[in-house]
Amino acid sequence: MTQDLWLPLALTAAIEPGTSAGSVIDGVEIAVWRDTAGRIHTWEDRCPHRGMKLSFGFVRGDHIACLYHGWQYDAAGQCRYIPAHPDVEVPKSICVKTWPVAEAGGMVWVWLAAGAAPQAPDLPQTTALRSLYLDCPLSRVVTLLQAATPLGGPARLAGPIAYLPSDAGALVVGLQSIGPDRCALHITVTGSPTSAQLTSLTHKAEALRRFAEAMEAAA
Amino acid sequence: MTPRLYNYDLDAECYRVRLVASVVGIPLDIVGLDVFPGHDHLTDAMLALNPAGRLPVLVDGPLVLTQVPAILWHLASRADATPGLIPAAPAITLEWLGFAMGDLASATTARNAAMLGQGDPVAPRRAARAALRRLDDHMIRAGIAGHGFVAGDRLSLADLALFPAFALSRDFGVDHDEFAALRLWARRVRAVPGFITMPGIPDYH
Repeated sequence: MTQDLWLPLALTAAIEPGTSAGSVIDGVEIAVWRDTAGRIHTWEDRCPHRGMKLSFGFVRGDHIACLYHGWQYDAAGQCRYIPAHPDVEVPKSICVKTWPVAEAGGMVWVWLAAGAAPQAPDLPQTTALRSLYLDCPLSRVVTLLQAATPLGGPARLAGPIAYLPSDAGALVVGLQSIGPDRCALHITVTGSPTSAQLTSLTHKAEALRRFAEAMEAAA
Repeated sequence: MTPRLYNYDLDAECYRVRLVASVVGIPLDIVGLDVFPGHDHLTDAMLALNPAGRLPVLVDGPLVLTQVPAILWHLASRADATPGLIPAAPAITLEWLGFAMGDLASATTARNAAMLGQGDPVAPRRAARAALRRLDDHMIRAGIAGHGFVAGDRLSLADLALFPAFALSRDFGVDHDEFAALRLWARRVRAVPGFITMPGIPDYH
């Protein structure tokens, strides 16, 4: 998938204030974390000190601290505090790569391409269903979605977004390629689905995962 | 009388017992054993208590318990335990205790293989990941029903029995990335009064 687009990497509701998680887009490891004020951040998932994943770390206010040695970074990715050397003014060169981030349609979007990020995707209000992780290439799922799946379809594609009709309302699905044999679908529902409809959709999503993975295993 | 726990700090099964005891407020008389590399759990004295040669073992007066669900159930139902971990209708709690001990036994096997070199980790890792997926699927549906815990809207014994397999999964090479519902659930478990960690589970909340 081209990276010259806003790419989805999580559901907004999955990243609570004060927490972090790891996400991968085509091999690029990304720490996605939300500060206690509710602002979302997408950073390279690597502490400059010893290479530990920052997504394993812990959020304190608008800083994230590495799990290994507690180095703390501010919202701009600049290291601000090294617990082993509390009196040292931290050099400006110790900073983490950050990427532009946006929240739209109940999903978190990252801009990995060079240059200034354009306006974030314009999406309708949705209800989050779930993120569905599949052990198969994204291309296989996209091919399935374009026909018809247990979940609904056929899908209309617009970059990393699939729009699917379903009996619970139109689905807006963020498409994430994790690697050559892994992908994720961030599934949201428009309209006002009932909890019975949402529950039914979760079973259909699992059926889609079983089907796609069985095809992959047979390939 | 204070129950006596024969314990190995690095063992996830023993952690389940310490965690439940801490949450229900029952102090334990903990006897630490050097399982690896010492094999303290295989002495004649220990094999007399549990011929299976396995920890944890709980001794409470005349009672000797070696099965984790029985130990957890016993602690949570003692008269001096903070009540609430065993609901009035306990079948669903038992269902998920069964899942913790059965479906997720592979997590313990995978972790012992990865950390202690006991056997091949590949097959148990695959099985543990599949079981964690099923638990994540369940917690997604629980969330739709407005429930934050595995057996309903309140913490039960099942959550504490299930927690270690997820919290320690990175030890056997299964990351938390793809289990968003379990991340949110684990955070709720961590916030429970009396929650304690073990080596491998960071204590930062």
